This record gives sequence, C-alpha cells and structure tokens, in this order.
Amino acid sequence: MDLALSEEQQMIVDMTHGILEEHCTIDVVRQMEDDPKGYPEALWKQLAESGLTGLLIPEANGGGGQTLAEAALVYEKFGEFLAPVPHFVSSVISARLLLTAGNDAQQAEWLPKIAGGDAVLTPAWLEPNRGYGEVGVQLEAKADGDNFLLSGVKRHVYFASAADRLIVLARGPQGVDLFLVDPSADGVTLTQQLSQSGDAQYRVDLQDVRVSAEERLGAPGTGWQAFNAVLHEGIILIAAQAIGGAQKVLDITVEYSKERVQFDKPLGAFQALAHYMADSATHIDGGRVLVYEAAWNASKDRSISRFAPMAKLFACETYREVTRVCAQIWGGVAFTIEYDCQLYFRWAKQLQLSWWDTPYLEELVAEDVLKDG
Amino acid sequence: MDFDFTKEEQKFSEEVEQWLVDNHDPEVMDLTRENFSQLADTPARRAFMQKLAKQGWLGMSWPKEYGGQEIEGVYEFILNEALARHGAPQIGKGVGIIGKTLIRHGSAKLKQEFLPQILSAEVEFAVGYSEPQAGSDSANMQLKAEKVDGGWMLNGQKMWTTSAHFADWYWVGARTDPDKPKHDGLSLFMIPMDHPNLEIQSLPTIGKDTTNQVFFEDVFVPEDYMVGEQGRGFRYIAEALDLERFTLFTLSPIEDRSKLLVQWAKEATRDDKPLREDPNVRRTIAHIVTDTQVARGLSKRFLSAAMKGDKPPSIESSEYKLFTTTLSQRVCKDALDLTGAAGQIREGQEDAPLAGRFEGAYRATLNETVGGGSSEIQKNIIARRKLGLPKNF
Repeated sequence: MDLALSEEQQMIVDMTHGILEEHCTIDVVRQMEDDPKGYPEALWKQLAESGLTGLLIPEANGGGGQTLAEAALVYEKFGEFLAPVPHFVSSVISARLLLTAGNDAQQAEWLPKIAGGDAVLTPAWLEPNRGYGEVGVQLEAKADGDNFLLSGVKRHVYFASAADRLIVLARGPQGVDLFLVDPSADGVTLTQQLSQSGDAQYRVDLQDVRVSAEERLGAPGTGWQAFNAVLHEGIILIAAQAIGGAQKVLDITVEYSKERVQFDKPLGAFQALAHYMADSATHIDGGRVLVYEAAWNASKDRSISRFAPMAKLFACETYREVTRVCAQIWGGVAFTIEYDCQLYFRWAKQLQLSWWDTPYLEELVAEDVLKDG
Repeated sequence: MDFDFTKEEQKFSEEVEQWLVDNHDPEVMDLTRENFSQLADTPARRAFMQKLAKQGWLGMSWPKEYGGQEIEGVYEFILNEALARHGAPQIGKGVGIIGKTLIRHGSAKLKQEFLPQILSAEVEFAVGYSEPQAGSDSANMQLKAEKVDGGWMLNGQKMWTTSAHFADWYWVGARTDPDKPKHDGLSLFMIPMDHPNLEIQSLPTIGKDTTNQVFFEDVFVPEDYMVGEQGRGFRYIAEALDLERFTLFTLSPIEDRSKLLVQWAKEATRDDKPLREDPNVRRTIAHIVTDTQVARGLSKRFLSAAMKGDKPPSIESSEYKLFTTTLSQRVCKDALDLTGAAGQIREGQEDAPLAGRFEGAYRATLNETVGGGSSEIQKNIIARRKLGLPKNF
C-alpha cells in the first residue's frame, strides 16, 4: 500500500498545473462566463499540444493511453482552476463512447481529432421533465428506410455551439441508440441557456433530423448500456474536479482567515471558524482518497459500480458544504461578485446537480448494496 | 498509487484470520462490548493473549535485541484490525505505549523487568494520565510527586483509568516540578496496581464496562521506578502516541456493524413490505456505506503515511479519528432510526432487533468522540498543524 503518486503521475499533475496557471487565470474564468462558445482557444490549444485532450484515448488512436487514475489527477486541477473547457464532454464522454460502442470507421474518423483537440464532440442526453436513467431517454428516433428521423428536445448540452458532432441519445425501435448528429444539420436548433456557473450550455431542439444508420454507435438498442458504463467512469472525474475545487476554496479561505482581523485577532484564531476549516480539510482528504481509489480500481479493471457513485456523491456533497462554510468565513464579501469565493460556491452546486445528482447516486449505491445475492 | 496490501501482508492477514477462527472462544471474543472488547481483563482473555504471544505476534515491530522481529508496523495494524473484527483483546498499551517508551527511555532495570513480561503477555497495564482537572487539557496533571528519601511520594487523584480494576501495573504521569511550565513539570512512574495506598473506585459507564477513578494517599515510588528523566514525562507521552500510530482506533468493527445493518435492511419487513424498498432506508444505507468507505480510505491514508516513516502521521491520524468516531456513532443512530420503536429494546432482550446490537452500541460508542482526544481536540490539531492557523485556545 502506497498512496503516493508515481513520478509519471506527478509529472502529469505538474504539467497540467503549469498550463492552467498560465492560460486559465481567474480573469480568464470570469471572461468565459456566459460566453456562447464557453472556452478560450489558447487554453484548449495548450491542452491539445500537451496531449491532455487525448489522455484517455489509446495510443493507437492518437491518444496518450493513460488510465482514469491519471485522469483523476488532471481533473483535480481542472476543479482547482475552474477550467472552462469541453474536455469532459469531448475527451472523456464522447471519446469513451466511441471506444466502447463505435465501429472502426467511426473511431478512425473521430478519435484522432478529439485526441488532437481538433474536433469537439458532446453528448445530448437529458430531456425536459425526465430523469437520469434509461427511461429518461425518450427523444424519438423513427426509422425511415435506412435512415432515422430524430425529434425531441435535449437540455444541458455543453459546448454545443462549438461542437462538430452531438452524440444524441434517442429512443429507437429497439431501445436507446446513440447517434452522431451534425449540429448544423437541418432541423437542429441550438439555444444557449445561462447556467448557475455561467458555463456554455444549450437547449437543442431536433425536428425530423435525418441521420443514417451509419451514424449510430453500436448495435441497435445498446446505447444506454454504453452510456451508463462510460458515465460511471466519467463521474469519478467529476468527483475529482469537485475535490480540486473544494481544496482550492479552502486554501484561499485559510489564507484569508490568517490575514483578516476582527476583535484584534485573525479570524483563524476563532475556534468556531478553525473547526469549520478542519472539518472541511478532513472531508476533502477523505473524499480525495475515495476518488483516487475509485479511479485506481477502474485502472485495474475492477468493478466501479459502487465506487464511482460513492465517489461523486461524497465529493460533490463535500464541495458544496465546504463552499458554504467558507462563505461564512469570508463574511459579507463572500456575497460579492468581486471576490472569488462565490465562483466556487456556484460551481460546487452545479457540479452536484450535473451528471447524476445526489438522489440518483444514492439510489445507484443503494441498489448495488441491497440487491439480492 | 497502490491501495492493496502486499502479497506478504495479505498472507499474514489470512493467517491471522484462520488462527482466530480456529481459536474462536465466546468467552474471549465479544463484539458486543464494542471498543472495550480490546481489554484483556479476565483470566480467559489473558490466556488468549498468552497464546497470541506464543504465535510471536506481540512486539513484532520491536528491535530484535529486545525480543522483537523489527518488521513493519503494518503487521501490527493488520493484527489489531483482525482482533477487533472478532471482538478479541488487542495488542495495546503494553506492547505499544509502555514497551516502546521503555525501549527508548527506560533504565536497564526497567527494561529487564518489564519487556520480557510484555512479550509473553504476563503483565497488564493501566495508564493514568487523565485527572479531574486534566481531561482534554492533558498536560494539566496535578497529581503531586514529592521527592523523599529513596524515591517519590505521590498524592492526588486520577480519572478515567480504564484498566485499573484488573491491571498489574500502573503507568502514571505526575507533577514533579510544580514551578516549571506545565509541559515541563511532569514525570512518568510505574507503580504496582495493588499498592495498599491506591484506592480504586469503579465508575460504571452506560456501555457494558466500567472505568475507574484512582486515589493516591502517600504512595511511595522507589527512585528506580521513575521512567527516563525527571521532567520529560509529557514528551514521552506525546512521543508514545506517535510510536503507537499503527494500532490506532480500529475500523473493522464499524465496517462490520455497517454490514450487519445492510444485511438486516435486506431482510426486514414493515407492514409486510420489504424495508429495503423504502426510499429513506435506501438513502440512509447509501450514505452509511459511502462514509464507511471514506473511513477506510482515511485509514489507508494514515497507514501509507506511517509506512513512509519520515514523520509521524499526526494529521492523518487526527483526520481518521475525527471522521471515523463520528461515523461510528452515526451508524448506531441511523440503525436505531431504521429499526424504529423496536430499536429501544435493550440488548439481550428477546425481541430486540439484531439482538440489540445497536441499542448497546449506541450507548457504548458515545465515548469514542471523547476518549483518546476529543473531536474538538482533533480539529485543533488539524487547524494548527495542517492548516497553519494560529493557536486558538
């Protein structure tokens, strides 16, 4: 047992930190809020040049062939810097969907481009007034000869305006299917929806959008299975992102509490506040080791059916709670746009609500624990 | 990054597990005593510890010259977690605090007298630090030790001496230098527990067990039963906590209780409906299982840091203890909430759900967030040592 990072892992952390420190300053983060494209080209280019956009793509497909253990370290940094990048939707979810369900031609066309940061793909998954599970996918894929006609509404489609393809989850004749859809195709309408964190999210309306069967990933009716497996991997990274954010907001709060004086003492000398911070540190460290173990299990091809939802459940709860108590320490300024505390406060809640929320994760864990056998 | 024990460690773990199964004895192993099950407080339990000693499992991490094997502390961790999982007595104060302190600071006489007895489990100790005015403020001990001809005369009182009613020897901190700052005025002494001038009064707890208060009236301690140097007692006490780092508060009984509750939730019904379909039950179970895994992670974290050995993992220990003891109580509370009105039926009564394990544990675990450094003390440690916050008390 040795929880320390390997030299190679430490190098990935340092490299990611270096890029973000230079290209993802807090000013850049603030500029990107509500931006229709949602990410800065310079930062994305750097991530591509360093190979981070191909982190989880095999070397044979132009990627770096790393495991979730390394990716979790990168995502901790993304969380720390509030990085506004389409990495998760493109280099993780879309890339892994192509790897899991795509055929050779689809993989050959898209994986090298995703790995190189030359194309952005994004899943179109959630629907209005529907849930997070398989039954929530009801957007219709009607067979029309060799083609399909897609009609319905998707929400929370991240970076859709910059996307080269959407991966639309739709209900085909035999169940859930995944289709590669060009967002500029006839019948597709993108409408930006401003979010709590200010990231680039779109509502996507599809009206009789024609796609060929060749644009389907995997055999008919197998789409949910693939998406579910990929999202289990993905939420480990969202959990890592939450831990990175929680650590950063705690760090800046600890520093502030050493400088800010009230009643002739620094705030950090008040036990009520010090204990908030000690509790936060404990939960962050506990969450981090849970996330690492989940990612490490995935890297060893061990089951993550329980670890992954546990990691996101705990990490996102921790992030949200840490931002709440940190705001208490900042006091009145926590509430102002000028100070950075509020950025983490908004991001924390949004991460918790996104990519499977607390009740859904609780249910995933409970089902795994309480099922027969 | 590696979250697994090595092959050798796993093999040892299996060996211990098998040995505990082979040597199962309900008189020795009692999970329902919760944290108190670690004590070797009856003849049968002392005999068990002597069997354990014959296996060579006591003092494994000690230097060879004192009868140890100089192997990594992780083996003591594995052993203690296994013992705790079975509700058996654990390697504790003798091998850890007293043995290791004597090895570093004890005289040749004390080493010769006590170390072999510790290794063969022939001696049990009580540790006397706490006093009416020295609870969380542990350096505030007032037990008076006055220099007299040939030794020291001790007068005063100790509190919360868990093992006083069965131990052979008393390991006691006393104030030898009242004019010095409080941390520098303490020294350690060893006193036979049956000393006629010690009066032990039982202090029954709401768990199954008792702790004690101990009164000293002109207790004479010969010069050579002072441990190490005069005035360095508090340093030795603090150092021993670091040396003890592999045999912290055990997690396996909490994991076990979580599993027990899960198993119950899978099978229980209410109004003829399976309880496991109840959303509140599902939600509660999800959080217990998740938090238990976090506790295991924090345990691996301090273990990994401890094995590095460059500095004592005091921050990791504090975070682990803070989180795990809080969780331990919450598991019991949640279990009672899930079992509902029946949860109150006293342990041992016929109708008690799960034989009343959680009713008993709910009482027995109350001490866990207090003893061994309260949650608030752990938070102070984390605030100061990890976060670098100013001293706040």
